[in-house]
Amino acid sequence: MSASYLTSILIWLPVAGAILVWLLPLSRYATGALAMLFSLAEVGLWIEQAARFDFSRPGLQMEERARWFGDLGVSYHVGVYGFSVWLVGLTVVAMAAATGYGFWVGRDRPRGYFALMLLLTGATVGVFVAQDLVVFYAFFEAMLIPLYVLIGVWGGARRMDATIKFVLYTMAGSLLMLAAIVAYGLQAHTFDLVDGPASGSRWLFLGFMLAFVIKAPLFPFHGWLPDTYREAPPEVTAVLSGVIAKAGLYGMLRIAIPKFPDPASFYRTAVLALAAAALVYGSLLAFRSTDFRGVVAYSSLAQSGLIALGLFAGTDLGFDGAVLQMVAHGLVSTSLFLIAGVVERRTTTGEFRLLGGMARGRPALATLLIAVGVISLAVPGSANFAGEFLILAGVFQRAWWWAAIGAGAIVLAAMYMLRLISAVLHDARGSTVADEALDVRPGELALIAPLVAGLLLLSAWPAAISHHSFFGNSPAATVKGQFK
Amino acid sequence: MTGGAWLCLLAPLGGTIAILLGGNRLPRVAAGWIATSSVFVAFAGAVWAFIGVRGPQPTCGALGGCFYPPPGELTTAWTWLASGHFSVGLQLLVDPLSTVMMLIVSGVGGLIVLYSIGYMHGDPEERRYFAYIAFFVFSMLLLVEGGNLLMLLVGWGLVGLSSYLLIGFWHERPSAVQAAKKAFVMNAFGDATMALAFFILIAHTGSLSFESAFNVHLSSTTQSLVALGLLGGAAAKSAQIPLQTWLPDAMEGPTPVSALIHAATMVTAGVYLIARTHPIFEQARTVELIAAGIGALTLLVAGLIALVQTDIKRVIAYSTMSQIGYMFLGVGVGAYSSGMFHLMTHAFFKALLFMTAGLAIHALSGEQDIRKMRGLGKLMPFTKWCFLAGALALVGIPPFSGFFSKDSIIASAAALGTWYGWIFWLCGVAGALLTGLYTFRLWFLVFPGEPSAFVQEHHHKEGRFGEGHWTMLVPVGVLAVLATVGGWLQWAPLWHPFTNWLAPAASTLAAAAPTNTQEYYTSAATVIAGLVGIAIAWAIYSEERVKIPYAPFAQRVLENKFYFDALYDRLFYRPAAAIATDLRIDFEEPVILQTGPDLGETTLEAGGMVRRLQTGFLRTYVLFLAFGAAAVVLAFLIAK
Repeated sequence: MSASYLTSILIWLPVAGAILVWLLPLSRYATGALAMLFSLAEVGLWIEQAARFDFSRPGLQMEERARWFGDLGVSYHVGVYGFSVWLVGLTVVAMAAATGYGFWVGRDRPRGYFALMLLLTGATVGVFVAQDLVVFYAFFEAMLIPLYVLIGVWGGARRMDATIKFVLYTMAGSLLMLAAIVAYGLQAHTFDLVDGPASGSRWLFLGFMLAFVIKAPLFPFHGWLPDTYREAPPEVTAVLSGVIAKAGLYGMLRIAIPKFPDPASFYRTAVLALAAAALVYGSLLAFRSTDFRGVVAYSSLAQSGLIALGLFAGTDLGFDGAVLQMVAHGLVSTSLFLIAGVVERRTTTGEFRLLGGMARGRPALATLLIAVGVISLAVPGSANFAGEFLILAGVFQRAWWWAAIGAGAIVLAAMYMLRLISAVLHDARGSTVADEALDVRPGELALIAPLVAGLLLLSAWPAAISHHSFFGNSPAATVKGQFK
Repeated sequence: MTGGAWLCLLAPLGGTIAILLGGNRLPRVAAGWIATSSVFVAFAGAVWAFIGVRGPQPTCGALGGCFYPPPGELTTAWTWLASGHFSVGLQLLVDPLSTVMMLIVSGVGGLIVLYSIGYMHGDPEERRYFAYIAFFVFSMLLLVEGGNLLMLLVGWGLVGLSSYLLIGFWHERPSAVQAAKKAFVMNAFGDATMALAFFILIAHTGSLSFESAFNVHLSSTTQSLVALGLLGGAAAKSAQIPLQTWLPDAMEGPTPVSALIHAATMVTAGVYLIARTHPIFEQARTVELIAAGIGALTLLVAGLIALVQTDIKRVIAYSTMSQIGYMFLGVGVGAYSSGMFHLMTHAFFKALLFMTAGLAIHALSGEQDIRKMRGLGKLMPFTKWCFLAGALALVGIPPFSGFFSKDSIIASAAALGTWYGWIFWLCGVAGALLTGLYTFRLWFLVFPGEPSAFVQEHHHKEGRFGEGHWTMLVPVGVLAVLATVGGWLQWAPLWHPFTNWLAPAASTLAAAAPTNTQEYYTSAATVIAGLVGIAIAWAIYSEERVKIPYAPFAQRVLENKFYFDALYDRLFYRPAAAIATDLRIDFEEPVILQTGPDLGETTLEAGGMVRRLQTGFLRTYVLFLAFGAAAVVLAFLIAK
């Protein structure tokens, strides 16, 4: 029943796969196929894990613990809670789609590329299941290294500028978090997240939060985001905004809020203000962006703000809504960036003034983009609507004006998303849209359609996540009780 | 009966999925027939649900407070959304109100989808059209069947989505795309105010069931805010002032879409919402009267604008706004069944008017300008007589259906007996005059007389009967009959089965129940007003005995639709766009996006400076060592 080995396998299988893919002198095609095999095996393993997870039981499950630096109180400690199961699921599904996309477009230097993608998968899963701060930090950093290389080597024309920015921002956050981790561990004599006591230190809280708000990101720490999202290969941007950004929000949920309850409530209003600023600011900039990826990038900023709003509302509905929205937005954003890649491959650009009229004769592309677009603007009935509704209802209980700001942002979301849809699909044919530009190919469809199917399933039953993320009938109390 | 409700809801969804999955493999004709038959199956389900429905009465205490039980049977498929103690089911409600709406939506909807087969024949993207329209019917049925407020909101949002998709169906026309976006965004605003109202309810009751929402006791301010939030959604969906500007533009969609979504069903959802949630509005009576006031204002303003429109569909669109104004007036004063009855008859005659207009447009190869259409009646007698039936029903001339439903609403305003009641009454009667005027302006310009040169040149016969494919003529004929006799179901002074049927779900407020005398003199006044309107139209447009009064200012105001579009553009769109652009140019690019590179350069520069210290000369290092040691010593000394 416990199947605790599953958690570790989910981390280390892709890492092993990475080494194998890197070492074996296979052809381009075989390398990609092998990497795909590992990615799909991950998805299978996750389904097994989700099926075995007992949502009616409190506390950590599928736990594994081994002493590492005993005298320092560091141990290799991994395990999952309800919400971690969903985030791991998001990771493996989105990574499989992104890896498949790399396979489909035939990235250069395939052994390096696929090894890094698999490494990224393992590290990201590690972040979501680590139960020791040192292990968490190790995975958090391990996640960044493949990203630096993936952007710097396989990115667009201005990739080096983007990479340097990305490195600087994330390193600044990580170093402060490292200092905070060390200080916390020395105070508490343990680095364990489950056993460790709550701390009242505002400085430590801020150290963690800085890393998380840069990663998420929240306004005004998003300086790295537009360039990185534009210059990275589309599938890397897809996982960056769909999955990696969620690591920052997950950090708030798993560490910053439960471990630092007093500082969290002391700074609540400040964080809520930053989150609301990200929501409105991101929506406004998305509305004026002139290219496909720009709109989705700023809308990701807005969505991070919305999720943070839910987390720092500190109410039942806020927490459940935030977890639901993390997964729903993860799937939406992954799909949108992959579709951006599909469009760019046919037209060589994402600039709106050069695009248009792609719906004519390309029904599959139109259907996919419209479906994902309207889910992303949270049309009522969609998974994203369910998430936003819970978040805003949750933050309404904190103070009404946060919800009012959020409701205003819903209208803005409609404006920028419909603008995106029309600019790509409708009106007259853009100058770069050739008549012979093909509709979505079966290979691409096989990558994006499962993500959309996942979104539709979640739309039919959002309670699958919202009601199966925290033990008990009060998520706020569960978080406060450090998930015990 | 709940089986009927589910069948009714899911049949059109099945039709959509079948067409989508069929894709190009599906013959084009098949898509139309799949959609049509799925909606008729839904109608059968609605009849099934209707036959079985039983609704309990609300229990009212001696002091006037009422307890509203769930007014029908609830059926839940599964828990849709849950968190903590809050939980909402995928739930349907089968009660007198929802079954009436189901019958209207699927019945009129089925006829219009059938009409579409002929109308859309030959369009290269017919399949997409039928997938969308079946999806719309599904969404609309979810809206009216939704068993709690959240399910209602889901249907509410999905009809907005299908409306967006269908307005922008011809997506290579920039004007259509623009209109579709405008409709969606204005409705998103309404969705947002509704959501805010729901947040208040969740904060106070932890639930979104009708039962808890109807029986909650809030402070009067809070209650008013809830009602206002709902009213915002209703006004946006039903194109009432101040959220009305999207509806005329929505005429960019194919004509059957205008008939189904922008006349018969979706735009009347606001009326349904108020009738459905009337206990909330009754506890905030001021807001309910504001709804009535909005209706009265809209019916006049829209009626006036309709006078100067030259596009056949836009005249009918403004007429729709005006008629929904009547419905708002009815449900706002508390005469829910009268409002709902007018919703039903309006669905018949307005769908009829749009579809006959569609026949005319088709026969003239897409021309919509009424100034070019004179004398069309001679070439299209069937269309002419059907249109006349719809027009007389619209003006409310007995025995056509509008007479029976509209007059009761105006009489209810008189029943209030207050000063604003009489203002509403006057607006209603004045509106009847305007209705006669603009409707028969349209009639005299288009149908009677000798065909104009343009008509003779462009008219072409279609189908075996010369006026269109049989799939178009049959629904028009059926609706012409319904528009004529549909009102006989109820004549308030003598028999009122419709009101009795709705009583368990939405019984008329005692204050808004007119006496027979009020009914009679109101009917007399409105019929006379309507006839006067027709007479003026005849004098001006048929005989040309009277010149149109020369009033350039009034004409300019009307042609610019009272400047609402320009105002909103200046007030909302342009400032938002300007702020966003300024933010990008003055803040995002120079500050946020430069921070990273600046940090990088500073780091590099700092590194460069430190590098200069690494001279490689021992004497430099010794010097630094000495300085360092001295500093440490000094520090210790000071610290001591």
